[in-house]
Amino acid sequence: MSAEDKGLLTSKIKATEQMKQLITSYYIEAKTTRLPEGTHKPVCWITSGGPVEFLIAMDVIPVYPENHGAMCGASHIAPELAEVAENMGFSRDVCSYARLDIGAAVTKGGAIPGGLPEPDFLLCCNNICGTVIKWYEELARIFDVPLFLMDTPFIHQEKPEHATEYVRRQCMELVSFLEEKTGKAFSLDRFAEVAMLSVEAVDLWKGVLKTAEHRPSPFTCFDAFIHMAPIVTLRGTQQVVDYYKLLKGEMEDRIEKGISAVPEEKFRLIWDNIPIWYEMRNLGNLFAQNNACLVADTYTTAWAVDIKIDDPLTSMADAYTKVYLNISIDLMLDQLVALMDKFSADGLVMHSNRSCKPYSLGQYDLSRAITERTGKPALIIEADMTDSRVYSEAQTRERVEAFIESL
Amino acid sequence: MASDSLKRLLEKRDDPYSWARTWKERTGGKVLGFFCCLAPEEMIHAAGALPVRITGENRAISKSGAHLQSYCCSLARTGLDMALEGELSFMDGTVFVHTCDTMMRLSDIWRLNAGFAVHGDIVLPVRFEGPSAHEYAFSELSHFKRKMEEFLGPIDDDALNDSIKLYNKNRRLLAEFYALRLENPGLVSCDEALWIVTSSALMEKSEHNAILEEILADLKSSGAGSESDGRVRLFGIGSVMDQWDFLKMVEDVGGTIVDDDFCNGRRYFDTGAPEGIDPVESITERLWERQSCPCKHRTDRDRAACLSGRVAESKARGVIFWLFKFCEPHAFDYPHIKKALDAQGVPSLNLEIEQGSVSIEQLRTRVEALIETVRGS
Repeated sequence: MSAEDKGLLTSKIKATEQMKQLITSYYIEAKTTRLPEGTHKPVCWITSGGPVEFLIAMDVIPVYPENHGAMCGASHIAPELAEVAENMGFSRDVCSYARLDIGAAVTKGGAIPGGLPEPDFLLCCNNICGTVIKWYEELARIFDVPLFLMDTPFIHQEKPEHATEYVRRQCMELVSFLEEKTGKAFSLDRFAEVAMLSVEAVDLWKGVLKTAEHRPSPFTCFDAFIHMAPIVTLRGTQQVVDYYKLLKGEMEDRIEKGISAVPEEKFRLIWDNIPIWYEMRNLGNLFAQNNACLVADTYTTAWAVDIKIDDPLTSMADAYTKVYLNISIDLMLDQLVALMDKFSADGLVMHSNRSCKPYSLGQYDLSRAITERTGKPALIIEADMTDSRVYSEAQTRERVEAFIESL
Repeated sequence: MASDSLKRLLEKRDDPYSWARTWKERTGGKVLGFFCCLAPEEMIHAAGALPVRITGENRAISKSGAHLQSYCCSLARTGLDMALEGELSFMDGTVFVHTCDTMMRLSDIWRLNAGFAVHGDIVLPVRFEGPSAHEYAFSELSHFKRKMEEFLGPIDDDALNDSIKLYNKNRRLLAEFYALRLENPGLVSCDEALWIVTSSALMEKSEHNAILEEILADLKSSGAGSESDGRVRLFGIGSVMDQWDFLKMVEDVGGTIVDDDFCNGRRYFDTGAPEGIDPVESITERLWERQSCPCKHRTDRDRAACLSGRVAESKARGVIFWLFKFCEPHAFDYPHIKKALDAQGVPSLNLEIEQGSVSIEQLRTRVEALIETVRGS
């Protein structure tokens, strides 16, 4: 019997429709920008952790291959696209986002009809991994377009002053790069305005995530994975601020009316790592059937950068360097413990993701340390974020059920 | 035909850390391990310590499986296993250079579990171009030097300059050796040639320089071997190549690797550090001028173009890619480099391997096929 049959899943979040409209009109603008009736804005492909505020401030349309990767994963077309790259000589062991994106780029395929709008230039920030550098180098060759690399030094134990200075200087270099590519002058006022809208959206997003502190939680992290799209892609715009006001209102309304995401929430869990996109629905049902709600995760909180109005460039350099995936596992542990406390979690579910080494290597140590520090158990699921060929549904189901039983 | 010095060097191939252990017993000095050839060994040397390279080994994993997933490269998995088993207990600490995501996380796991007295991280830039990256690299190396001084004692400029000179001499001698072998690959087999370079990062540099001088003198006077021995000239691409049995097999089936881009091969010694300038600047400058590594980004140097050019210069007729399974930086570059080689009409063979599960017999057929292709072309 499915979860729907048992009536376990709460009705859909109403704001989803607005989000779909927002994302659709964004893709339509990006797809039509070069047409006579289009907006004639340049298109820049950017990594998910990249400083998009510069692009918004310069009227450049950001396009996110990772977001598209998630879409391809969720719509179960990732393996066929990945195979295209594999046939080009890319090993099956490299990141599946990269493989499917390369496959989509050369075939003009994927989840968007006719493929993603082609880039005029590329912006790669390595604060999420080193993989993106190799991936974007390949994109630069495929499309024969310039690539700007924003290099954010990894933080092992401390962040020296010279690291912040290096990133701050690169922000200036990025400005020059964009001025040259767009033929427009950079306006610090416009940038500050965008940065403030970004901060406002991030605060609202944090507010949305915070409503899950309520017991029972009005949403699960599976909802957050879907509703994070605007904060990742379009932060710095007014529409995103408006959207998260709406979503936050709906979540507060749910709390007031006593609507919970999982009708009989008994266990509260935290998710670690990128979602298993092709398995979201099944996993959501599986946890709900077992009265467990995934109330928070380490992934959607990653877009919570702080930018200060008095010195936007330095504070941005600092914020973009300190993101969750750019810090050592002991620093990650402190954040994980805080997240578990804040959301009164009973346990941790870690997706050991073949495609993401910076997220996954260290999880074995983290899982033990979490139990030591909080007394709560951790479960590790072996999978891949989009490549379903390496995933075993039966094994995962068995492990999840055994884990929840042990709670 | 090997000289006596080379014979003595080869005796240690099955026990690569014996020099470091002996050195420590003899001098009581500190030994620091490192994985990546971008590590500023001169700084460690100038403080009177011995830098020693860890390159993993062929072994079945026991303890590191509890820390690293199976989709992590064998270099990290076997290296960590050696440390956790206490086999690196002669080391006082370890230095990690930021290269790939795996090494970045291995550094964390190593620091938290391996139990060494000192741990250094050098977060070099990934962008190897532009003044901001250059200045950042200089600051980061200076910062590392200060941190090492806390543990090893002062590293003064004179000592550092002396170490740079000593290391430069080693690089010149190794370059001279490679040049001789390029002319006359029959002088030394390719497994021996790569061991000559690899051993440089395993012992005191002055000692290695002395051995190299003897080997070079012997080789020049013997004049043994000649290009007409009919072996097919090959070029090797990859990170660490320490599979001596594989290389011997390549020789057995009629090939030899005459030049390479391995980081325990050509990439270890490929550029000297400028002398007569600020020593930290000199080390930074050397990093900047070196052949590109797949973990470092630069728009002005295309690795495929550089490598296909070097393959042509070396007169190699085939290329062997020796790539660690799960090594993303190399795996990402492979299709691009292969395309450039194809365009040049150079056949290549992609071998994806894991230390500890290399099957020479399976690989033999593939290497033979490559050699036949070359001979038939």
